[in-house]
Amino acid sequence: MAPATSPTGSDHTGSRRRPFWTMERRDALAGYLFIAPQLIGITIFVLIPLCLVFWFSLHEWNVLAARFTYTGAANYKALLSDPGLGEVFGATAIFSLGLVVLNMSLALLLAVLLSQKLTGITVFRTLFFSPVVVSLVAWTIVWSFLLQKNGGLNAILQVFGLEGSNWLRDPTTAMISVIVVQVFKNVGLNMILFLAALQGVPKELYEAARVDGVSPFKQFRRITVPLISPTILLTSIITIVGSLQVFAQIAVLTQGGPGMSTTVLVYYLYQQAFQFHRFGYGSTLSIVLFVIVAVLTFVQWQMRKRIVFYER
Amino acid sequence: MAPVKLANVRKSFGAVEIIQGVDVDIVDGEFLVLVGPSGCGKSTLLRMIAGLESISSGEIAIGDRVVNDLEPKFRDIAMVFQNYALYPHMTVERNMGFSLEHRGHSKSEIAERVQWAAQILDLAKLLDRYPRQLSGGQRQRVAMGRAIVRNPQVFLFDEPLSNLDAKLRVVMRAEIKSLHQRLGVTTVYVTHDQVEAMTMADRIVVMNGGKVEQIGTPLELYDRPANRFVAGFIGSPAMNFLPGTITRAGFEAGGVTLPLPGPIAERDGQDAVYGIRPEHLALDGEGLEAEVLLVEPMGSETQVTLRLAGQQMIAVFRERISARPGETIRLRPDVAAAHLFDAASGARLN
Amino acid sequence: MNGELSPRMKVVVYGLMSVLLIPFVFPTWWMVTSSIKPISDIFAFPPEIVPSRLDLSTYAKVFELQPFAQQYWNSAYIAAVVTVGTMLFSSMAGYAFARIRFPFANTLFMIVLLGLLIPSEVTIVPLFRIFLSWGMVNTHWPLILVPIFGAPSVFATFVMRQYFIALPVELEEAARVDGLGRFKIFRTIALPLARPALGAVGIFTFLHSWNLYLEPIVFLSSPEKFTLPQALTQFTDAYGGAMWNIQLAAATMTAIPVLIVFIVAQKQFIEGLAHTGLKG
Repeated sequence: MAPATSPTGSDHTGSRRRPFWTMERRDALAGYLFIAPQLIGITIFVLIPLCLVFWFSLHEWNVLAARFTYTGAANYKALLSDPGLGEVFGATAIFSLGLVVLNMSLALLLAVLLSQKLTGITVFRTLFFSPVVVSLVAWTIVWSFLLQKNGGLNAILQVFGLEGSNWLRDPTTAMISVIVVQVFKNVGLNMILFLAALQGVPKELYEAARVDGVSPFKQFRRITVPLISPTILLTSIITIVGSLQVFAQIAVLTQGGPGMSTTVLVYYLYQQAFQFHRFGYGSTLSIVLFVIVAVLTFVQWQMRKRIVFYER
Repeated sequence: MAPVKLANVRKSFGAVEIIQGVDVDIVDGEFLVLVGPSGCGKSTLLRMIAGLESISSGEIAIGDRVVNDLEPKFRDIAMVFQNYALYPHMTVERNMGFSLEHRGHSKSEIAERVQWAAQILDLAKLLDRYPRQLSGGQRQRVAMGRAIVRNPQVFLFDEPLSNLDAKLRVVMRAEIKSLHQRLGVTTVYVTHDQVEAMTMADRIVVMNGGKVEQIGTPLELYDRPANRFVAGFIGSPAMNFLPGTITRAGFEAGGVTLPLPGPIAERDGQDAVYGIRPEHLALDGEGLEAEVLLVEPMGSETQVTLRLAGQQMIAVFRERISARPGETIRLRPDVAAAHLFDAASGARLN
Repeated sequence: MNGELSPRMKVVVYGLMSVLLIPFVFPTWWMVTSSIKPISDIFAFPPEIVPSRLDLSTYAKVFELQPFAQQYWNSAYIAAVVTVGTMLFSSMAGYAFARIRFPFANTLFMIVLLGLLIPSEVTIVPLFRIFLSWGMVNTHWPLILVPIFGAPSVFATFVMRQYFIALPVELEEAARVDGLGRFKIFRTIALPLARPALGAVGIFTFLHSWNLYLEPIVFLSSPEKFTLPQALTQFTDAYGGAMWNIQLAAATMTAIPVLIVFIVAQKQFIEGLAHTGLKG
C-alpha cells in the first residue's frame, strides 16, 4: 500500500461529539413534516372510521330512536339470514364483472384504433374521452331520458321499424342498461392509459416481428398484450374497485329496481343505513364491502406475478 | 480557495463499509483526480466532501473548518454533476444565478457575476435559452458556469465528461484544465477514465474497493505503481502480467527466463508477478520468442497481441510491423521499466 | 401500431370509429338539444335530432325551482378547495415518500396505501356519526375533508410519488449545493418539474369532487346547501316524476362549462393523464 498522506487529527476524530441534529435527523424531521397533514387526515377520516365500522357492526344503532345498544354478532347473524343479500351479491357480481369485461375490451379496442396513424385521430380521441368530463349525474340523467319507454332510443329504433323495451323497468335490460351507461361514461380513461402503454411498446419489436413474418393478430397476442400487461393489471384493479363503488348511476337510473335486480352492495348499504336507519346493519354491510375490496386487490396483486410478463 | 483534508473517513451502509478509511490531504489550489473502477467508492467520497452523503466516522475539513455535519450550502463548494443537473425549467442565466439568488445577493451583483462567468465560458449568447435547447457541450459549460459564478473554495466534478462523445471530451478536458489554471481553485475531480486522470491531474488518487491504493502524480503512478492493481489500472493498453518465480538467473515463467530489474538478493525462490507495459517490449533478434495472434495497425503505432511464455500479452510498437498471425517474432523487455509484484499481496517488490 | 394502413383499412377504421362514437357523443347532443326544445317536442316522433323550434324559458325555470346559482357556487368552491388541498397534501406526502429517508417510511407508506382499500362508501356510517357529533352535518365540511384525506387523495399521493421518483435526483442535489433547504427544493425544483403529474391529479380530484353524490345526499338536507349532482335530481313534479326539460337544462348547465374547458385544453388534459405514474 502506498504511503497515504499523514492522517491528521485522527486522534480526536473518534471522540468528536456529533451534534444531535445531524443532517440525517434534520432531513428526517422534514420528511415527517411533509407527510404529517396526509397522515393525520387519513388517521382521522379513514383509519379511525374503519375501526368504528367494526365497532358499530356489533351494535344496533337507530338515530331516530337515539338507541345504541351492544348486540354482539346479531348483525352478522342477520346478514347470513338476510333474504335479500343473495340478490344483492348477484347484482353486484353481474354489474362488476360485466362492467370490467366490457370496459377493458372496449378500451383496448378503442386504444388500438386510436393508435393508428390517421389524420384527425386526435379529434376522435377527444370525443371518445369527452364523457369522462361530463358531470356523472348529468350523463346519467340524459341516459335515463334516452332509455325511457317513450324516450330517444326507442324512438330511433321505431324509425327503423324495431320495438324497444322499457329498458329501465324490465329486470333483464335494467342491469345491462346500467352497465352500458357506466361503460360509455368512463371507458375513455382506460382507453387513454392503454393508448399511452401501446405507444410505449418499442416499434422495433413490430418491425422485427414483420421481418419474421408474424401475422398482425399474432403480433397483438404475442407482443402487444404481454408488453402492456402491467397497464392491463393496473386498470383492471382500478376499474373493479371503482365498479364496487357505483352509486349515483343506480340511484338515478333504477333506484335499485325493478325489484332488487340492480341493487348493488353500496346501494343496499345506503338503503339500510340512511333510508331504513339501520346503522348497525349498514356497518356490517360496510365490512362486507371492505373485505371484498381487500380480497380483490390482494388477489390481483398476487396475479401480477403470473400474468405480468414484463415490468419496467 | 482552500485545502481539503480527509482524515480516516469511513462510510457504511448497514454492515457494508463502502469507504474504508481514506486519508488525503488536498493542497490549496491543487487539481486532484479520484479514479478507480465503478463501485470503488470514488463518487461516494466526492459526495461526502460535498455534504450529499453523511460521514460514518472520520473527519473532513475544508480550509480550517471541520464540515462533517455542515449542510452542503455552508461548505462553500460547487459541484458539476455527471448529467449536468441543469434545472430544465430555468433559463441558462437563471440556472447560473440560482445559487446566488439563495444567498441574498443583489440583482445587479448576480447579473454581473453571471456575465463574468458567461464571458469566460463563451455562453454570453445562450443566456436566454433553456437547457433543452443546448448541445451536450453547451450544457456542460453551463454546468461549469453555475459552479464558478459563486467563486467557491472548492470545485467538485463528478464524471462530468462521461456523457459527451469522444471528440468533445478531449475539447472539454482542455477547457476544464485551462479554467483551473485561470481560477486556481482547489478541484476534486472524479472519473473512471484513467486517460482523463493522467492528462488533467496534479495528483491522482487511485481507489479500489473503498480504499486508497495509491496517491501520486500521474507519472509517479505510471512509472512506479505501488501495487499490481494500480499497475493494471493506469496505462492503456494495460500492463502485461506474467506470473512466475524469482531466481538467481532471472524471472522464470512458462519456460522462459526474463531479466530482473534491480537486485534480487534475498528474494530467490519467491513467487511473483512480472509486469511490463506494452510499450516497453521492443523487437530484438536476440529476444524471447513470441507467437503473433493479432495485428492491429493504428497508423502512428501498431498494437500486436501475442503469446509469450504461454501468456497472452499486448505489445505496442512505434514502427510498422510486417508480421502476420501465426508467425513468430522476438521481443526484449526493457528491464529498467519492468515491475515486480508480490504474487499474494500484489505489493511492489522492486 | 405498425406502419401505414392500406387505404381500404383506413376506410374500415374510420367507419368503425364513427359508429362507435355514437353512444359517446349523441347523449350530450341530445341533452343540449332537448333542453332548448319546447316541452311538447322532446318526446316527438320521429325524434328531432336537430330542434325545429326553440324554447329557452326552461333555463329560467331551473333558477326558479331551485337556488341553482347557489348550488352551482357550492359545487364549484367545494371542488376548488378539495382540488387545491389534495394537490398540496398529496404532493408533499408523495415527495417525502419518494425522496426523503426517514425511519418507518415504508411502514407509513403502507398505512397510507391502505386508504386505497377503504373507499368512503365503506366508512360512510362512522363518518356520518363523527360529523354529527362535530355538528357538521348539513354543512360542506364533510364534502371537503373526506375527499382531501380519503381514497382519492391516497391515489393522488401514489401518483405523485411515482412521478417524483422518476425525476433525476441530481437536480435536487445541485439545489442543495446551491444552498436550498428541503422546503425550498420542493417548492422551486421538484414541484415545478412535477407539473404534468400535478395537473393530472388536479383533474382527477376536481372531477371526483364535482361528481360526488353519495356524500351530499347523506350529509346535506337543505336545498341551498346542495351541490349540483344532488340538485339535478330534485327537478321533479308533485308525483315524483321527472320534469325532463328542466332537468336537462340544469344538466346542460352543469356539464357544458367543464366540457368546454376540456375541449380547449384537451391536449394537456389527456397527455397529463397518460404521462403520469399511472402507466404502471
